[in-house]
Amino acid sequence: MRSVPKLIRRYISILLLTCVLLIILNFVLLAILAVNQAPNAYPWKTSEEVAAALQLIGDGEYALPESIALELKNSNVWAIYIDNETKQVIWKTDNLPKTIPMSYTISDIASLTRGYIDGYPTFTGKAANGLVVLGYPKDSFWKHMWPSWDYYTIANLPKTLLTVFAFNTALIFLIYIVANSKLLKSIKPIVNGIQSLPTGEPVYVKEKGLLSELAININKTSEILQSQNNQLRRKESARANWIAGVSHDIRTPLSMVMGYASQLKEDTHLTDEQRQKAKVIVKQSERMKNLINDLNLASKLEYNMQPINAKSENMVAIVRQVIVDFINMDIDDTHPIEWETDDFLTICPVKADKALIKRAVSNLIQNCINHNEKGCKIYVSVAVDKDKCTVTVADDGVGVTDEQIEKLNNTPHYMVCDENTTEQRHGLGLLIVKQILAVHGGTTVIELSPYGGFSVKLTLPIQES
Amino acid sequence: MKEGVYVDYEYLKSKRLLLVDDQQELLDMLISILKEEGFNSIVTAKTVKDALALADSFQPELAILDVMLPDGNGFSLMEQLKHKGEYPILFLTARGEDEDKLKGFGLGADDYVVKPFLPKELTFRIMAILRRSYKGENPLVKLQNSEIDFDRAEVIKNGEHITLTAKEHDILAVLYRNAGRIVTIDALCEAAWGDNPFGYENSLMAHIRRIREKIELNPSHPVSLITVKGLGYKLIIRGK
Repeated sequence: MRSVPKLIRRYISILLLTCVLLIILNFVLLAILAVNQAPNAYPWKTSEEVAAALQLIGDGEYALPESIALELKNSNVWAIYIDNETKQVIWKTDNLPKTIPMSYTISDIASLTRGYIDGYPTFTGKAANGLVVLGYPKDSFWKHMWPSWDYYTIANLPKTLLTVFAFNTALIFLIYIVANSKLLKSIKPIVNGIQSLPTGEPVYVKEKGLLSELAININKTSEILQSQNNQLRRKESARANWIAGVSHDIRTPLSMVMGYASQLKEDTHLTDEQRQKAKVIVKQSERMKNLINDLNLASKLEYNMQPINAKSENMVAIVRQVIVDFINMDIDDTHPIEWETDDFLTICPVKADKALIKRAVSNLIQNCINHNEKGCKIYVSVAVDKDKCTVTVADDGVGVTDEQIEKLNNTPHYMVCDENTTEQRHGLGLLIVKQILAVHGGTTVIELSPYGGFSVKLTLPIQES
Repeated sequence: MKEGVYVDYEYLKSKRLLLVDDQQELLDMLISILKEEGFNSIVTAKTVKDALALADSFQPELAILDVMLPDGNGFSLMEQLKHKGEYPILFLTARGEDEDKLKGFGLGADDYVVKPFLPKELTFRIMAILRRSYKGENPLVKLQNSEIDFDRAEVIKNGEHITLTAKEHDILAVLYRNAGRIVTIDALCEAAWGDNPFGYENSLMAHIRRIREKIELNPSHPVSLITVKGLGYKLIIRGK
């Protein structure tokens, strides 16, 4: 839900920006219009010009210069000249409408200055002995007839404008918040739904409100994910069960192979050669037995079907037990095991499934034995470094190349690899070790042994006391 | 009883064994293995019904059971057998899961062997169970320089009877059950002080020293109770 406050912040800033831009736009537009309106003072100016240009040409006769007269005529503007003394029209243009009176009272003049004569907007200009009045065509100008304001209205104009602006902005915000809180309310369950989709848990969003369509789609998606997960789980369980079933069914027949071959191996009535053959059968059936066990465990670990019983354990004791089991079994002493752990390290607490960790360590020792048929020394140690416990199983046997080590560390096993490959991969034993360490939150590192052979380091977090 | 052998093997091998498995071939093989090993008193059953009937008529002293039987399972068969008599039971089954093993042990099985198995392993385990179950019938344990009488919790050295403390007795008993094999420090601590995974190693060393004073001629150079450095201890028994 971190994204929602971010979203709100973004919208508010966009809104602020919108307001600022609107104000700027309004000012610019107003300025442009005002500039266009400025020439609207021109009828007054024209009147002044006409008044100035009007010349006495003798005995009460007046005349306009030709250019101005023509301009007035073209604009369909009439003009009269009212004498100061008589209040009579003493000069007029030819196009003067007949309805225009030829004499005026002072109140008439005040009225025509402010407004109209017979609907013609009139403008005045002061001449030498009178007043020039221009009459523009009807409906060409609108005149403000009562141009007066309360003084404070004008004086407080900036304040008034600001207040108006503030009210506008507040209203916009209010509308925004109401509209958005509704939207957010309907978005919130959807956001929650989308955020819980990746967890794999079933998701249900109420299918109502503005965004019900989205909710329906989220619910459908969740259903699809669930059914896919179930299918996958069913398939994985089926696969693990299949492997478990096959390995179970092989056990009894293999018991008989092993049992009788073991008897033949010891049978003194047979020749040495025959007994040698029986010995090979026993050895290979033991390998099959290990393979069955490994296959079963590996598939269970891979498909998360292996129950993990993690308890507080002493790693030193676990490893010690594994080694002792091997030493007790190794009758001909071809693979002696050296205990290389510091004498003072007697306790190394870890949270682990004892059986699985024993399996991992014994797999490593068994690996040393399997890959060094002629015998080798095996060195096992437990060490503590800060919050990590490291178990090392190394040997002085045939070892492997750097390239192989690289592959063992990084190439996935065929059981967990979807590529179709015939390339020889490492045995299941090492895969199981890696899987076991992975479920314990540990790591497996394969490297060259300082003793000249192969070495595997298992690292587990130490349990806090 | 052979001279110098600490356990009366002939006696143990005269024990009556009941084998229950639904496959005739496997039963045949088991009989072959056990006969070769010296067991002579063996009967077999392929169903729960037959097994229960034999339990009454034959009075076995050790039963070896499969878990999956045509008319029931080995776990419930074991419970029924336990009602009929006190004798050890070993499971021999293709069910190798840890849960199955734990279930078997939880119900009171004495051992649990997963197929496939090596004949030697099976006979070793059978002998171990018999030894444990019928130990009252075996005499003194003979060491290089002394003898241990577990029933009386004492050591006889040069004709002198030396008493063992309870802890010394427990430690020696575990070592004796695994005679000739290494027992880890941790397993010995557990035997003496219970299931506490941490600690007691120094106490164990003190006890071992005192045991050596009782059983060895020269405790500084032990010949019966051997240290395996860093790992554990081993009890060497005469004739083994």
